[in-house]
Amino acid sequence: MQAQQEHAFEFTGNGRDYFKIWIVNLLLSILTLGIYSAWAKVRRLQYFYRNTRLAGAVFEYHGTPIAILKGRLIAFVLLVAYTVAGNLNLLLAILAFVLLAAVMPWLIVRSLRFKLYNSSYRGLRFGFAGSDGAAYAVFLLLPVLSVLTLYLLAPFAHYKIKQYQHYNSRFGDTFFRFDATAGNFYGIYLKALGLLLLAGVFFGISAALHMSVLMVVLPLVYLYIVGFLAVRLPNLIWSKTGLGEHDLYSRMEVGKYLWIAFTNLLGIVFTLGLYIPFAQIRMAHYKFSCMGLLAQGDLAGFVAGQVQADSATGEETAEMFDLDISL
Amino acid sequence: MVAALYFDGMTSGAQVVTLTLDGEWLQMRGEVLAHEWPWHEIKVSERLGDTPRRINLPDGGHCEVADHDALDALLKQGGYRSNWLDGIQHSMRWALLSAILIVLVFAVAYRYLLPWGAEVVAHSIPPNMLQKMGASSLQTPDKLMLEPSKLAPQRQQALRAAYAKLAALPDAQLDYRIEFRSAPQIGPNAFALPDGNIVILDELVASTQNDDEIIAVLAHERGHVEQRHALRMVLQSSAVGLAMTWYMGDVSSLLATVPAILVQASYSRDMEREADEYAARTLTMNGMSPCLLRGILLKLDAAHAKRQAEAVNNKEGSVMDYLASHPATQERSDLLCPAH
Repeated sequence: MQAQQEHAFEFTGNGRDYFKIWIVNLLLSILTLGIYSAWAKVRRLQYFYRNTRLAGAVFEYHGTPIAILKGRLIAFVLLVAYTVAGNLNLLLAILAFVLLAAVMPWLIVRSLRFKLYNSSYRGLRFGFAGSDGAAYAVFLLLPVLSVLTLYLLAPFAHYKIKQYQHYNSRFGDTFFRFDATAGNFYGIYLKALGLLLLAGVFFGISAALHMSVLMVVLPLVYLYIVGFLAVRLPNLIWSKTGLGEHDLYSRMEVGKYLWIAFTNLLGIVFTLGLYIPFAQIRMAHYKFSCMGLLAQGDLAGFVAGQVQADSATGEETAEMFDLDISL
Repeated sequence: MVAALYFDGMTSGAQVVTLTLDGEWLQMRGEVLAHEWPWHEIKVSERLGDTPRRINLPDGGHCEVADHDALDALLKQGGYRSNWLDGIQHSMRWALLSAILIVLVFAVAYRYLLPWGAEVVAHSIPPNMLQKMGASSLQTPDKLMLEPSKLAPQRQQALRAAYAKLAALPDAQLDYRIEFRSAPQIGPNAFALPDGNIVILDELVASTQNDDEIIAVLAHERGHVEQRHALRMVLQSSAVGLAMTWYMGDVSSLLATVPAILVQASYSRDMEREADEYAARTLTMNGMSPCLLRGILLKLDAAHAKRQAEAVNNKEGSVMDYLASHPATQERSDLLCPAH
């Protein structure tokens, strides 16, 4: 057994540099009525990927603006069709909704493939091998079931989505592992629910005393629970994700995360948005400073997958497009 | 000589190498490897801040270079043309210039492009579609802030009859009905819905003894409807909302809706002026004086000022009053009724 070695992620981006890139690209996006935003997106991702460092090497983003533009065009057409149908009559609206739901899983798979295929580290590309059939179960069937069970199944659905995503991802020809259980997800969601109930009982009592206390504290509790989920879920998901024999981890803290998110929000509001690039850098800094890789031996042993050589010139790239879906 | 990390694209192993340019050939030397490639087949990624730059090699491998100065020297030696954005993206002067230009573009779009676009779209919607859209538009205000009118039915009937006698301008497209409501929190006011319904509040009826003045207000509201002001405001504020959502991105959708609400709060000065002018034409055509509108505007202004003062005294700042007050009443009255 080789010795385990810890590699922390390091994010080296800085607000000043990113601000200059961001604002010039924003101007170009506005002047071209949004078309240039696809180029801006590639730059943004490249800046963030290349500033993300692990064990002495950085990540790289290879997406092409045209593919992103194609994806946006598809999303735009779908949205317009959906809105128009929704305003015309009920039957058409239902039809449009069903149609949209029916193509969504297919689109998500394409988007995941695009995103992973266009990411690389140490010269090896990532990849996604999830099947369309499983995607329909995870992105369509389970969400419907979770609504029908009054969200009792929601944590399970979330678990399955993450499992589908991570289990089917690969680096070179090495697949990721996902070792979380549905119980882990229920644990976190139940804690959040518990916090909410506890707060409810507590404030039920104090509301009888003073109404204005409630008005201040209730939003804070809500914010805390949002922060709790935004920290504990990624911590769970990444800490239960491994690559081959190596393990990943994420150790964010709710208090620190909330502080950054809150001060970022204030900064953005008071600078009318000029703080946005600084805020994004700050948050990325924090997220990556909490993440790392527990490696068994060195990281030189990965090999490019067969697919990498095929699809570099294959037809797959031609029909690829990106959708702005965040999961 | 440039220090770099070489990755062959087949395995994740990194090798420390140095790069030099020898005539038309890029030479790469490492501890155990030596390669050379034709310079014109080399692609170098654009510079982004201080991030390592990437040299893509013809064999599918690449080099990561962190030493920017050395790489720049190498590129210069090889006559490599960099992206035109390269300088712009890394200069503070361009960043500031961009910021100013963005504000300018937004300001021009907001002041000129947006109202123009909204007007074109609003006028392209046929009247019968407007009426369909407006069929339920009174339901929300009814639920949120309006109460049933307390005016006697005879009084309502009398006002309706007086209003029915008001002949419409020849280019009028919609049928008009008036509805009576009460809203003590809003104060004396009247407003027009996109479908031609005009809502008049008891507080406005009570604010004047002269029914002709009420008719003048209704003519003004009719101007708002004929010129599709409500629809234009809705279009404008949704466009602003969309732009804000896009700009603020993932920050908060709540933040994005705030400016939209502010835009929607009151008609623009231009729209008030247009409606005034429409009312003046209607009144003149019906043999009434445009000065009637001036009279009631001044009364409403006084009433709102009084309410605001009261609200301040009672320390219950009424946002509604502030947002609803029409701007520059004096200026408008002078336009309407210059003889005074």
